[in-house]
Amino acid sequence: MGSMFRSEEVALVQLFLPTSAAYTCVSQLGELGLVEFRDLNASVSAFQRRFVGDVRRCEELEKTFTFLQEEVWRAGLALHPPEGRLLAPPPRDLLRIQEETDRLARELRDVRGNQQSLRAQLHQLQLHSAVLGRGHRLPLAATPTDGLLERTPLLQPPGGPHQDLRVNFVAGAVEPAKAAALERLLWRACRGFLIASFRETEQPLEDPVTGEPATWMTFLISYWGEQIGQKIRKITDCFHCHVFPFVEQEDGRLGTLQQLQQQSQELQEVLGETERFLSQVLGRVQRLLPPWRVQIHKMKAVYLVLNQCSVSATHKCLIAEGWCAASDLPALQQVLQDSSSEAGVSAVVHRIPCRDMPPTLIRTNRFTASFQGIVDAYGVGRYQEVNPAPYTIITFPFLFAVMFGDVGHGLLMFLFALAMVLAENRPAVKTAQNEIWRTFFGGRYLLLLMGLFSVYTGFIYNECFSRATTIFPSGWSVAAMATQSGWSDAFLAEHPLLTLDPAVSGVFLGPYPFGIDPVWSLAVNHLSFLNSFKMKMSVILGVTHMTFGVVLGVFNHVHFGQWHRLLLETLPELTFLLGLFGYLVFLVVYKWLFIAAAAPAPSILIHFINMFLFSRSPTNPLLFPGQEVVQSALVVVALAAVPVLLLGTPLFLRWQHRRRSPRPAGRQLDEDKSGILDSSDASVAGWGSDEEKAGCPGDQEEAEFVLSEVLMHQAIHTIEFCLGCISNTASYLRLWALSLAHAQLSEVLWAMVMREGLRMGRELGVAAVVLVPIFAAFAVLTVAILLVMEGLSAFLHALRLHWVEFQNKFYLGSGYKLSPFTFAEEED
Amino acid sequence: MLGAHCPVRTRAPEHLQFGRAPQPGHPAPAMTAHSFALPVIIFTTFWGLIGIAGPWFVPKGPNRGVTITMLVATAVCCYLFWLITILAQLNPLFGPQLKNETIWYVRFLWE
Repeated sequence: MGSMFRSEEVALVQLFLPTSAAYTCVSQLGELGLVEFRDLNASVSAFQRRFVGDVRRCEELEKTFTFLQEEVWRAGLALHPPEGRLLAPPPRDLLRIQEETDRLARELRDVRGNQQSLRAQLHQLQLHSAVLGRGHRLPLAATPTDGLLERTPLLQPPGGPHQDLRVNFVAGAVEPAKAAALERLLWRACRGFLIASFRETEQPLEDPVTGEPATWMTFLISYWGEQIGQKIRKITDCFHCHVFPFVEQEDGRLGTLQQLQQQSQELQEVLGETERFLSQVLGRVQRLLPPWRVQIHKMKAVYLVLNQCSVSATHKCLIAEGWCAASDLPALQQVLQDSSSEAGVSAVVHRIPCRDMPPTLIRTNRFTASFQGIVDAYGVGRYQEVNPAPYTIITFPFLFAVMFGDVGHGLLMFLFALAMVLAENRPAVKTAQNEIWRTFFGGRYLLLLMGLFSVYTGFIYNECFSRATTIFPSGWSVAAMATQSGWSDAFLAEHPLLTLDPAVSGVFLGPYPFGIDPVWSLAVNHLSFLNSFKMKMSVILGVTHMTFGVVLGVFNHVHFGQWHRLLLETLPELTFLLGLFGYLVFLVVYKWLFIAAAAPAPSILIHFINMFLFSRSPTNPLLFPGQEVVQSALVVVALAAVPVLLLGTPLFLRWQHRRRSPRPAGRQLDEDKSGILDSSDASVAGWGSDEEKAGCPGDQEEAEFVLSEVLMHQAIHTIEFCLGCISNTASYLRLWALSLAHAQLSEVLWAMVMREGLRMGRELGVAAVVLVPIFAAFAVLTVAILLVMEGLSAFLHALRLHWVEFQNKFYLGSGYKLSPFTFAEEED
Repeated sequence: MLGAHCPVRTRAPEHLQFGRAPQPGHPAPAMTAHSFALPVIIFTTFWGLIGIAGPWFVPKGPNRGVTITMLVATAVCCYLFWLITILAQLNPLFGPQLKNETIWYVRFLWE
């Protein structure tokens, strides 16, 4: 069988790497992704390991890289991923990269600092010119005498010391949010002794810190009196206003304005130069940073792996342990030899026996990956147990399609998936970041098969957007019934509903050759027929699926050499399952084949119930002669299988244990030395018999055999299986339930939306116009409800059927994946 | 019903006219009866070719095992599903209940 049938053989290998070539060897192994390294220094803390200094240097470099990256992003540039394949640089290059990085970081910091300070200065100059140049109408002219004359009616200055009533000015700028508060406070504190005028700057100025444009309120306060002046100064300080010197004379102010403009022009030139230099530096960073990041990342990963190796006694080589696929061992050997060819001694790899359970490795391609993914989502298989994925490739879309069967919907789904598959190599599609799209895109092959099978089941259910088609002529003849029963027109007018009787000759002409007869879609009682059909179909499919699961368990028992389980577990399980539910399937098929519409038909349900109760109903005719004897025998045999299942394996293992244990102790030592094979056998048996335990069986499996534990595990397994048979068979009825829901939703949508549109108006043209929006509504609802919602629902239920009902018959799923040391996925 | 064959009759065009009932005394023309054996043979052969003969023609390669599994599983699933459907309709215990409008229309349409 192909490699997906069970996990590949994975071996525990020991690598001897000469110290000088260790770095290169591990770096090459990382490029190839062959080995999963085990930590041999688990007891040593991270700070005491050998290469901790190198790791630390790499981490500091990464910090600097983060700083550089943020600077690049702040400037609005993007970092492009590097081209080509970059190897981890040799250790001596680390110093060079470190120096260059530090230099770049330093330059960048300096330039940024300069830019900030220049911008702040520019801001101040701009504010100053705004304050001066805003053309405040001075409420008071320059001459104090005029001012006095104007002011006399208002307020008498209180006394002598205030004779010197020279007007002074305070000019500045404040944030607009604080302007109102400032004005209020000034008035309260110094009322009457000042006049303040506030005006907003015409243009917003760029804030030096955030770079956003912000408007400022400039103010000009004219006051008289020294104390007032001090108060005003304190208030403006409190509000963090920028205060500038204000010259009274107009020309003085103009002169200052010109000076300011000149200064700001010069400053802007310098700022321009600074920003040009900054962009140069950023350009260098953009070019150099991505490859360095990749290289340092790889280097750090290599050192982390080297930290996991132990040092040999002579300190000349490092010993590493890891898991590697057995088929990759020659490649591993080759890589090590090539990498360590410069050093005198070549690196060596050899296989060592393992006691722990190896990781599971199943190689998949892009088609099988999605199916393996849904199996692994439940649990990664144990080492070398049977993998349900290759069967899931077909049974999962099939069970989905049973619940989703409709030609039209299946075709839409198939075309959508086909579009994704055909476009899968386009770069725009591969690099899309939307998560929902990526989910659908990752499952494109799954959707493809689901759509394809849905088209098939749609043909069988005879539903295309809920409409039936007559590919073949129907097997029911209405005319024959009408003539035989004398259905005249008057008779028909009186009876709104009439039933065709298959017992009348000529009415039923034979089963429809492919699928469900189209007459049922015209029938009022179509659900009676379809429900019976779909429920029986679900039970048949369910029993088949579960039997297949039990049979797959046989492969596990054979592979692990546990022959006793074939007889003591698989056989009772099959007896129970087939004896009871296989018999139910037999009854269903028998009734289909041999019971015609003549006499009152026997009820399978009542027979099945009576089978377990060992009773009989006199009104229920038998299906075949001797049925009661057969049923009683089957129930007895099935119930007899339960104690075999419960006690068989524990008693056998106990007998086996007793048979081995009365050996002298000396012989056991010999067995241990030569018994790599024995221990692996015993450990394999150990894996099997105690499924819930972790894989390690310990030194001597015989000493660990505890009867009560094994008995308890087996009891749980027995109860799970027997009760599960009943509940899981009923669980498969969801196939019926969901296909019914889908069919009904589809029909309602058609009847309520599309048919109303098609019925509109006998006049020419009305229906045509009305159908456009109606079809739009029909299409949107079809996609939203029937494709997306029902699709997700059927997907979920098919998944549950696989994970629970199918896989709990044979699959343990308590393994772990082989995750080799590789740089590939880390580059994301 | 098993293996029943009815002679194929020719269609007379006047029976397709709506509202024209067949004259009493003339036998009602029978529709083509469906046989059971023919579809069974056809589909068993078809899915048998896919499921049993198909695996021999799968080219050798790393995916041979998976492809064979897929072929066999497809054949088993699809054949079983079709078989269940045709067996369920083989001996119907009750017939469809139709509205009188449907009977009026289908009576002459499906002949």
